Amino acid sequence: MSGTLVIFKKELKGFYFNSTFWMICFLVSVVFSWVYPIQLNLFSQLLMNYVMQQGVPQNQLNIHYGVFLRQLSYLNLLLIFVVPALTMKLFAEEKKLRTFDLLLTSPVTSFQIVMGKYLAALGAVGGIVLLALLYPLATSTLATVNWGPLFIAFLGIFLVGGVYAAMNLFASSLTENSIVAYVASVIFNVSIWFVGIGTEVVDGERARKIFEHVSLSSHLSGLVEGTVRTNGLIFFLSIIVLFCFLAERVVESSRWR
Amino acid sequence: MIQVKDLTKDYGPRRAIDKLNFSISKGDVVGFLGPNGAGKSTTMKIITGFMAPSHGNASVAGFDVFENPLEVKKRIGYLPEIPPVYADMYVQDYLRYVAALKQVPKEKIEGSVKNAIEKTNLGDVQKRLIHHLSKGFKQRVGIAQAIVSDPEVLILDEPTVGLDPKQVAEIRELIKSLKGQHTIILSTHILPEVEATCEKVIIINKGRIVAEDSIQNLSTMEQGQIRLHVRLRKSVEDMQNVLSGMGSVIGVHSGASAKEWSIDLKGSEEAVENVSSLLVGKGYGLLELTPAKRDLEDVFLKLTYGQQEKGGPA
Repeated sequence: MSGTLVIFKKELKGFYFNSTFWMICFLVSVVFSWVYPIQLNLFSQLLMNYVMQQGVPQNQLNIHYGVFLRQLSYLNLLLIFVVPALTMKLFAEEKKLRTFDLLLTSPVTSFQIVMGKYLAALGAVGGIVLLALLYPLATSTLATVNWGPLFIAFLGIFLVGGVYAAMNLFASSLTENSIVAYVASVIFNVSIWFVGIGTEVVDGERARKIFEHVSLSSHLSGLVEGTVRTNGLIFFLSIIVLFCFLAERVVESSRWR
Repeated sequence: MIQVKDLTKDYGPRRAIDKLNFSISKGDVVGFLGPNGAGKSTTMKIITGFMAPSHGNASVAGFDVFENPLEVKKRIGYLPEIPPVYADMYVQDYLRYVAALKQVPKEKIEGSVKNAIEKTNLGDVQKRLIHHLSKGFKQRVGIAQAIVSDPEVLILDEPTVGLDPKQVAEIRELIKSLKGQHTIILSTHILPEVEATCEKVIIINKGRIVAEDSIQNLSTMEQGQIRLHVRLRKSVEDMQNVLSGMGSVIGVHSGASAKEWSIDLKGSEEAVENVSSLLVGKGYGLLELTPAKRDLEDVFLKLTYGQQEKGGPA
């Protein structure tokens, strides 16, 4: 297990002691600093005028729905493109610079290599999610915030980030070209949202149920509304485990190829 | 220490190495010699557990590299052709990382890093980014990386390639200084390197071992044979004829002009003496007489390219 820890520490340092990561954080915060106050402003106007407006959905009058969930959907959009930028070099760069030789000739297993790198990527994703969490935290000085659903919603988006990280780690392990890894990762991240679309085209009840269960959005929607369901958590974990396993196989394959 | 048995590796239809068999005992410094593409790197990669063989097996310190790769990797320091260094790390941090990766106990890491830096003379650059180092220094960081865990076996794949002569000399000195503490395998296609550092040579060509012996034995492969280079003041048209009376002469080759010859003799120093006194006696004006040993280069070329010795002075 110590191998995992050594690689984890090194990669996490590689993220946090690197200007690229802070550049990404800066850009993310620029986007939020522009969008979030506008959202907040619109929400406050809506509250002031709602008596005069007819047919405003009830849940839009809640700050959780009116502001935080919108922010989360922007965060999700950003993560689709940001997580690949963080993870693309994890394996591709090592292969290109031949530092991969060092890892493969060190007394660590493929599993430890992948785990170390995955946990480090998770650490970096966590940093960005925390950065986004600062905005609701700042809002709590102006408004009453229901902390439970807020944290659960952010946990949900963090799990989605974890799914991206696992898929993108796998994409990075496939190639030694970082750009290819990036493009493949973005395609993975975008296409996982389209799996659930199957619900709308299949006829059978059973098939529809299956698509519902493998749809990322149906599991995420539970979490962002503040309800934790074990089947949702298991679903996220299964995807993460699946792609980490695939990445581990790719790393291992270089031993016998 | 290292046992290699029937080791074979296929890359698709191409056979990179074909049934290699050799063994290396503890403390040996072995040169792994061969032209480019002979299968040197492949063999080394298999011994390090980096890749698996198609057939056969290899073991290090009694552990099979495929069955028990972790035990093997603990005992090996490996410098690949391209030093596996992270450009964005500081030399010291990098070596600490490698030491931790190689499972050096925590309390010993600082000591081993210091030791490796000392041995490879990296003291001046230890706090610099690897990115900013010259190629020679990067190579040294690569070697430091290989020795930082104080491994029993050190595998160096072309450690001096692309370095300037001074750096080459330094790296050779370094390898010499590591002798005795580690079992070293050194792959190269540069012959003087092997002559300078190794005791034993394995010559490999097209995936097969063509010779395996000590340098001493290889360079005097044909025992009791001496080649003399002579330079005369006067021209001699037919040296063969002049020397025809001597039984010990087995071959005569002309040199750049009729004043330079090389003569192959069988026998001992007496034969040399006879030739010199004959040449002096005939009044050719003997200016130079140098005995030349067959050197490793001849052996190497002959074995790997099947090239026959050419006439004339080498």
